[in-house]
Amino acid sequence: MTDSVVPKSRTRKQSLLKQIMAMPAGAILLVFVALQIVCIVGALVYPDDFRYLSPQNLTILMKAIPVLGCLALGAGILMIAGEFDLSIGSVYTFTAVLIATLVDTGVSAFIAAPLGILTGVLIGLLNGTITLRFGLPSFIVTLGGLLFWRGAVLLYNGAVQVRFDPEPIFSSLFAGTIFGVNAAFIWIILFVVGFYLLLHRHKFGNHVFATGGNRAAATAIGINTDRVKLIAFAIAGGMAAVAGIIATARVGSVQPGQGAGLELQAIAACVIGGLSLSGGRGSIIGIFLGVMLIHTITDVLLLLRAPGFYLDMFIATLIVVAAAFNHLIERRGAA
Amino acid sequence: MISSSNLLELHNISKSYGALTALRDLSFHVGHSEVVGLLGDNGAGKSTTVNLISGIQKPTSGYLSIDGQKTMFTCRSDSADAGIETIYQNTALVDSLSITRNIFMGRERTNAFGFLKQTEMREIAMEVLEKAVHISGIDSPDKLVGDLSGGQKQAVAIARAVFFKRRVLLLDEPTSALSVRETEALLAQVLKLKAENVSSVLVTHNLYHAYQVCDRFVIMSHGTKVFDVKKADTTISQLTEYVVLT
Repeated sequence: MTDSVVPKSRTRKQSLLKQIMAMPAGAILLVFVALQIVCIVGALVYPDDFRYLSPQNLTILMKAIPVLGCLALGAGILMIAGEFDLSIGSVYTFTAVLIATLVDTGVSAFIAAPLGILTGVLIGLLNGTITLRFGLPSFIVTLGGLLFWRGAVLLYNGAVQVRFDPEPIFSSLFAGTIFGVNAAFIWIILFVVGFYLLLHRHKFGNHVFATGGNRAAATAIGINTDRVKLIAFAIAGGMAAVAGIIATARVGSVQPGQGAGLELQAIAACVIGGLSLSGGRGSIIGIFLGVMLIHTITDVLLLLRAPGFYLDMFIATLIVVAAAFNHLIERRGAA
Repeated sequence: MISSSNLLELHNISKSYGALTALRDLSFHVGHSEVVGLLGDNGAGKSTTVNLISGIQKPTSGYLSIDGQKTMFTCRSDSADAGIETIYQNTALVDSLSITRNIFMGRERTNAFGFLKQTEMREIAMEVLEKAVHISGIDSPDKLVGDLSGGQKQAVAIARAVFFKRRVLLLDEPTSALSVRETEALLAQVLKLKAENVSSVLVTHNLYHAYQVCDRFVIMSHGTKVFDVKKADTTISQLTEYVVLT
C-alpha cells in the first residue's frame, strides 16, 4: 500500500523586496525612493552645502519635469504600441515656433496653441501613415522626421530666437503658480493621471498593450492594430506640441535649436521607467518616475557643482543599466 | 448542392498566394451539433482553411455560407459576429498582459466611455478558468500569461474561446502543447459543448485524438479534400492510410 502524499508547493513565498521588484515599475520605484532618502538626509545634514530642499531648488525641479514629462508620455505610449518616434524633439520646436509666430502676428494664444497641437497630431499621423503603409521601421521614418522638421524650423523662421508674448492669462495658466505649486507641474500631474486612465483603465490601453505585445495575436482576435498604432503616433506628436507650449510659456521665447536631443532623453526616461524596446511592456507611473529620476540626478549633480559631462555619463550609465535590468526581467518572464 | 440546413458550408474555395496554390476547390460542411475532424499532413492547407473560416484571410474564389446564407468574412470580427470562435495553433495570447486581459482582449467589458469594468471581467475570468478548463495551477486571473507554461497558455486560449463560443468552435492543433491530462480535459470539453449544441472543427495531426471525439472526418491533401467519411463508416487504420498515402 502506498500513502498518497500531498506534494509540497514548488513555489516559495517571495520576500517583500522581491514582490516590489516584480511589480511593473517596482525596481525604478525602489531606486527613486532610495535616491530621495539619500538626498533628503544629505540636505538635512548639510543644509548649507547641499540645498536640495530649498524652495528655489524645488521650484526649478517642478519647472523642469513637465516638458520632458509630456514628451516621454507620448513617446512611451507609442513605444508600448511597438513603435518609435525620434522626431518629437524637432516637432516640439517646430510647433513652438509656429505658435510663437502666430501669436506675434496678433492671433490669440488660445487659438494658436490648439493649432500647434493639431499640427503635432498631423505630423504624428503622417509618421504613422508612412510607417504602416510602406511597412518601414518607424525608427527610420521618424529619423527622417527629426531632420525634416529641424530643417523646416530654419526654413520657416531662420536661426533667430522668437519671442512668445501671449495674453497674461495664458502665461499664468501654463507658467503661473497655484497654491505655491507651479502650474506646469499641475498640468503634468493631470496628464499622468489622464494617461494612466487611458492606458491602464481604458480599452484603448488594452489594445495598445496587445498591439505592441503580440501584433499577430491582436489581429487574430479582431483588434485593428494599424488604427491603434496610428492613434499612438498622433498622441506622441500632440504631446510634443504640448511640451513645446509649456516650455515656451515658461521661458517667453523659442530657440530654434532647443529641442535637439530631447527625443533621446524622452526615450531614455521610458527605458529607465521599465518600457520594453520591443513594445507591449511598461507603465505610466514607470515613465513618470523615469523622468523624475533623470531630473533628480541632473539636479543633484548641479547642486554638487559637478562638471556637465558627468551628467551625460551618469544618465548614459543609468539607461544601459536599466535596459539590461529590464531585459533580464523579460527573459525571466519568458522562461 | 449541399443541403441548406448545415450550420457552416465551404463552397469550392480556392486560395493562392502568388504562384502557390494553398487551397484548390475545397468544399465541406459542418452540421449542427457535430464535431468534424479536419485531418491531413503538414502543408495540406488545414491552417489556411482555419484562417479563411475565421475571416483572417479571404478566399481567392469560392464562398462560405452560414445557415445556407452566402457570407463573406472580411475580418475577424465578421466571423465572431457569425458565432465562430477560434483556438489558434500559436495560442494568440499576449505575454505581457494578465489572464483576464487576454480573455477579454478586443472584447473588453466597458462602461459607456470605454473604461474597463475590471472587477466584472476578473470575476468572469476566474469562473471561466475554473469551469471550462480544470488545468494545473492557475490560481489567479491576474497572473501574466508570459509566466504560464505552454499547457496553461493553451488553457487560457481555450477558456477564452469557450466563454465567447456561440455556434462553431475552430480548434487549430489545440493539443500540441498539452499534457496527457490536459488533452483529456480539452476533448471532454469539446463533447460537452456538442451537447450544448456548439459544433466544433478539430484540426489535428493526431488521429487518435480526432477519433476519440469526432463524428465525421474530412481529410485534406495538397489543398483539397480527398476523403469525407462518418465515424461509423471508417476505422482509424483507414484514416491513417488516407492521410499518409494521398
